[in-house]
Amino acid sequence: MDIYSGLLSGFQVILEPSNFLYCFVGVFIGTLIGVLPGIGPIGAMSILLPMTFGISPVASVIMLAGIYYGAQYGGSTTSILVNIPGEASSIVTCLDGYQMARKGRAGPALGIAAFGSLIGGTFSVIALMFLVLPLAKAALKFGPPEYSSLICLSLLISIYLARGSFVKALIMILLGLILGCVGIDSVSAIPRFAFGCPSLYDGIGLGQIAMGLFGISEVLINLEESMDRSIFQTRVKNLFPNLEDWKRSIGPITRGSLLGFFLGILPGGGAVIASFVSYALEKRISKNPEAFGQGAIEGVAGPETANNAGAGGGFIPLFALGIPANAVLALLIGALIIHGVSPGPTFITQHAKIFWGVIASMYIGNLMLVLLNLPLIGLWVKLLKVPYKILMPLILLFCLIGAYSINNNVVDVIIMIIFGIVGYILRKFDYEPAPLMLAFILGPMLETAFRQSLIMSDGRFSIFVERPISAVGLLIAGLLLISTGFSYYRKTKTKVILE
Amino acid sequence: MERYRIIPTLFWIGLSLFVMVLSYHMGLGGFHKPGPGLMPFLLGALLLLTSFCLLIRSLLKKVEKGRTESKNQHQVNYRKIGLVLASLFFFALLLETLGYLVVASLFFIFLFRSMGNRWRTVWIASALTVLVTYFGFTFFGVKFPIGILRF
Repeated sequence: MDIYSGLLSGFQVILEPSNFLYCFVGVFIGTLIGVLPGIGPIGAMSILLPMTFGISPVASVIMLAGIYYGAQYGGSTTSILVNIPGEASSIVTCLDGYQMARKGRAGPALGIAAFGSLIGGTFSVIALMFLVLPLAKAALKFGPPEYSSLICLSLLISIYLARGSFVKALIMILLGLILGCVGIDSVSAIPRFAFGCPSLYDGIGLGQIAMGLFGISEVLINLEESMDRSIFQTRVKNLFPNLEDWKRSIGPITRGSLLGFFLGILPGGGAVIASFVSYALEKRISKNPEAFGQGAIEGVAGPETANNAGAGGGFIPLFALGIPANAVLALLIGALIIHGVSPGPTFITQHAKIFWGVIASMYIGNLMLVLLNLPLIGLWVKLLKVPYKILMPLILLFCLIGAYSINNNVVDVIIMIIFGIVGYILRKFDYEPAPLMLAFILGPMLETAFRQSLIMSDGRFSIFVERPISAVGLLIAGLLLISTGFSYYRKTKTKVILE
Repeated sequence: MERYRIIPTLFWIGLSLFVMVLSYHMGLGGFHKPGPGLMPFLLGALLLLTSFCLLIRSLLKKVEKGRTESKNQHQVNYRKIGLVLASLFFFALLLETLGYLVVASLFFIFLFRSMGNRWRTVWIASALTVLVTYFGFTFFGVKFPIGILRF
C-alpha cells in the first residue's frame, strides 16, 4: 500500500463515527490531564487502559495516542496562566509564558502555543508517514542479535538522557528488566519470582505498575506540597497573535518542528528534551537573549512547537521497530500487545488499518486540539480552579477502579498500591520511575532476542559484533558509556581541584 | 554521610543477591542453551555491580552542610500520606465484601473530609462521584462486586 492510498484508507477509518468519537475523547482527556497538575499522560493512559479492552484495537490506540499528544497541548495552559507546568514538557514555557500573562498578553501566549503545537504536531505526522515506511522495510532484515543491540542501545540512551544521576537511572533500568522477568518463562514454562502466587504467573500487569508508579505515587508526592494554587487574575483575550508576533515566532516554530521531531525519535527524551533544547537554541541565536525570561514570545513558540513535534517523532521507532522511545509509548505498545497485535517491522503491513488509522487520527486530533484549546480556554481556566483536595480522591478512585477492572481481581489493586508506595519511595530518593517502565516493557523482548541470538550462535557472544547493524548499535552504546564515564571523571577531577 | 541516603543502596545490594540466588536455583543453563534463570542472574549481577558503584560513590561523597539543613527544614506531612494509604488498603480489602457502592462512598467521605473539605461538600461530592463513576464505568463494561448488601 503506497502512502496516498494508505492515508486515504486511514481517513476512512478515522471518519467512522466511533473512531472519531474515541479520537475526540482521547484528545479531550489529554488536554484535561495536561491542564491538571497531579496526573500525567502515563497515569491517565494506564487508568484508561482496561476500559479499552472492550473496544477495537484501532479505536483503543487512537484514543491512547490522543491522550499522549493532547497532553502536550494542555500542559502549556497551566504554564502560562498559573506558572505551574501541567507536563514536564511544558516546564520551559513557564519562563516566558507566565511573564507574557503578567504583562496582559496571556491570549497571544496561549494562541502561539496552540498554533505552534498544531504546526509542530502536523509536521511530525507528515515526516513520520514518509520515514516510517522505509525504516520498517529495512527493519525486516533485522534478526534477534540486531534487536538485542537496538534494545540495549535504546535503554542506554534513555539512561543517558534521564534527569538526575546516571547510576540511579541504570539501577531503574535493571530493576525494570528484572520485574519484566516475573511470571512463567516462555521457553521452559517454569514460574519465575512468582512465589506461588497464581496472579503473578502471567507476570506483573502493565496497568498495575503504571498506575502505581505514575498515579498513586504522584498523588502521594503532591500531598507533601501545598494544595493551594493561585491563578494569575487576567482576562484571556486576543487569542490570535498579531503580525509582529507571527514574524517573531515563525523562525522558532520552524526550528522547533525540525528539532523536536528528530529529538523525539531518540529513546528516553522525546517531548521533554525537545522543549528544553529548543528554548536553549532560541535564546542562543536571539539578537536579544536578555528578553528571554521577561516574556519573549519566541520562548513560548519554540518549545511548545518542539514538544509536539517530539511527541510525533517518538512514533517512528514504535511503528517501524516495535521499540518504544519512552514510557508513554511503552504503554501504547502494551495496549497493542493486550489486543493481540505484535508491534514490529511487519506491523505496518499486517495491521495497515491500525497504522493508517492512527496516522489519520493525528491529523484530525491536532485540529481538534486547536479547537479545544482556543475557543474553550475559559473552560480549562475554570478547571484550574478545582482544588486539589477534590481532585486527589478522584485520581485515586480512578486508579483503584482501573486496577480492579483489569481482571476483576483485588490482588491487582493491592499490587498497584504496593507499586504506588515503591514509586513514592523511589521519588523520595531521587530515582526516576520512567526508565523502569520502559525497561519493564522492553525486558521480555530483550530476553527473547538475547536467548534466540545465543541459540543461533551456539553460545557465541561474537554474533552481536559480527552482524553490522548490531555491531554499530553496540559501538554507539559503548561510546555513550565511555563519554558518560569521561564526563563523570572530569566533574570529579574539577571538584577535587576546587576543594 | 547522611544515613538515609545509604539505605536504598543497601536495599539494592540485598535485592540483587536475592535475585541471583533465586535465578541460580531456577537453572542457568549454558550460553548455547540459556535456562530460565540466566537472564535474571545476569541482571542481578549487573545490579549488584552498579549498587556497589553507588555505595562507593555515596561513601566518598561529602554532604554539603547547607543542603542537609534545607532537607531538615522541609517537614513532610506523613500523617496525611498514611491516611491516604490506609484508605487505599481499606478500599482494596473490603471491595469484594461490602461492594463498590458502599466502599467507594466510605472511601470518599473519609478522604474528602480528611483533606479538610466542609461536610456539605463532602456529602455532595461523594454522592455525585460514586453514582457517576458507578454508572459510567458500568457503561464501559466494568463489573463491580455487589458485596454482602446485594447492590
